[in-house]
Amino acid sequence: MSSTFKIDIEELSSIPGVVIVRFQGSLESETIGAIEKIFTRVQMGDSVFAVADMGSVNLISSAALGELMGARKRLIELGGDLVLAGVILEIRTKLNLMGASKIFKIFNDVRSAINAYKWETGKKSEQVELTFPSNLKMVPAVRQLISRVARQKGYGNRDSFRIETIVDEICNNAIEHGLNDSNLNIGIKVDIDPDKIEIDVTNISDPEKIFSLKTHLKPEEHLEIQNDERRGRGLMLIKMLTDELTFNISEQGTVVHVKKVREE
Amino acid sequence: MESQIELIYEEIRGRENAKLIHFIGDLDATNVETVLEKVINLFNDGVVKLVVDFKQLRYVNSTGLGILLHFSKSAKEKGGCFKIANINENVYEIIEIIGAASLLEIYDDLDEAVAAVD
Repeated sequence: MSSTFKIDIEELSSIPGVVIVRFQGSLESETIGAIEKIFTRVQMGDSVFAVADMGSVNLISSAALGELMGARKRLIELGGDLVLAGVILEIRTKLNLMGASKIFKIFNDVRSAINAYKWETGKKSEQVELTFPSNLKMVPAVRQLISRVARQKGYGNRDSFRIETIVDEICNNAIEHGLNDSNLNIGIKVDIDPDKIEIDVTNISDPEKIFSLKTHLKPEEHLEIQNDERRGRGLMLIKMLTDELTFNISEQGTVVHVKKVREE
Repeated sequence: MESQIELIYEEIRGRENAKLIHFIGDLDATNVETVLEKVINLFNDGVVKLVVDFKQLRYVNSTGLGILLHFSKSAKEKGGCFKIANINENVYEIIEIIGAASLLEIYDDLDEAVAAVD
């Protein structure tokens, strides 16, 4: 075994179910036995969510990576996971080339990995609330922010893209159908948990547009597409991408509420 | 701030009144008018056979999709074509949901799209 290699376990009494496996040095093929032994110990215990602290690892062989993949598979079968934390750039590049970054969740540091675990298991929601001027040019920044929040909370690329689209379409509608005054604000409230995201967008309705807006929102509208139509498909897109869509239209304002269940 | 989009033009060798356009960035309500103006100018100059490369088009919304349908229809009316290649899977999903996949000429491969130009 390489003389620079070290491995140890830290159980976290404050967070039951989580164990940190700290690696140090070079994870070469000679270290496979030690890696296997330590993860057998993890599996025998109560903690099946393991964070591999890779901050002091300077080399990883294909064989050692294979052993970590095997350990991850066994922990997943027990309802847990093995995630990597603090991976140095050189090794991260190697993991990307080997396709391992698509298999392991990789976090910047151990704390981020533990926070992600607490978020996934805690089932608590978090809220983001903001207002912005009623101007189409503000929407790209807003939709990208909400999409990034979803991604940061562990939602996959496809879900995050869909969320970006939903926010974009609702906000554009809120601006186009709202009172034409850029001094007024659009409000957006996001409630996100590990299973779903709920979004409320509020604008100040234009009294003259309320009737046309109610017609526009009739469910039987927008079922067919005409080749020469340049607009009016946003609502159809929102309906198709969300699991729940409701409107509350009044003289005071319109609130559009959507719920989207996490798929990946 | 408007979303960034860049259109890079290339001649298509051996084809008259044709151009290849690479779309780079996001296409949405903040920049459709700019894109519309550029493509209409091409039509007005007689360039009616267009192949568009979406390899670097990250995002498109319903408004952006609306002008793509408009380009497709206008090109055909003028005796040309509007062929799209290299769409990323997220953008393709939006096109499919809207029901526009059957209205647009979509190719997996850019060379295939270029070869299909008359």
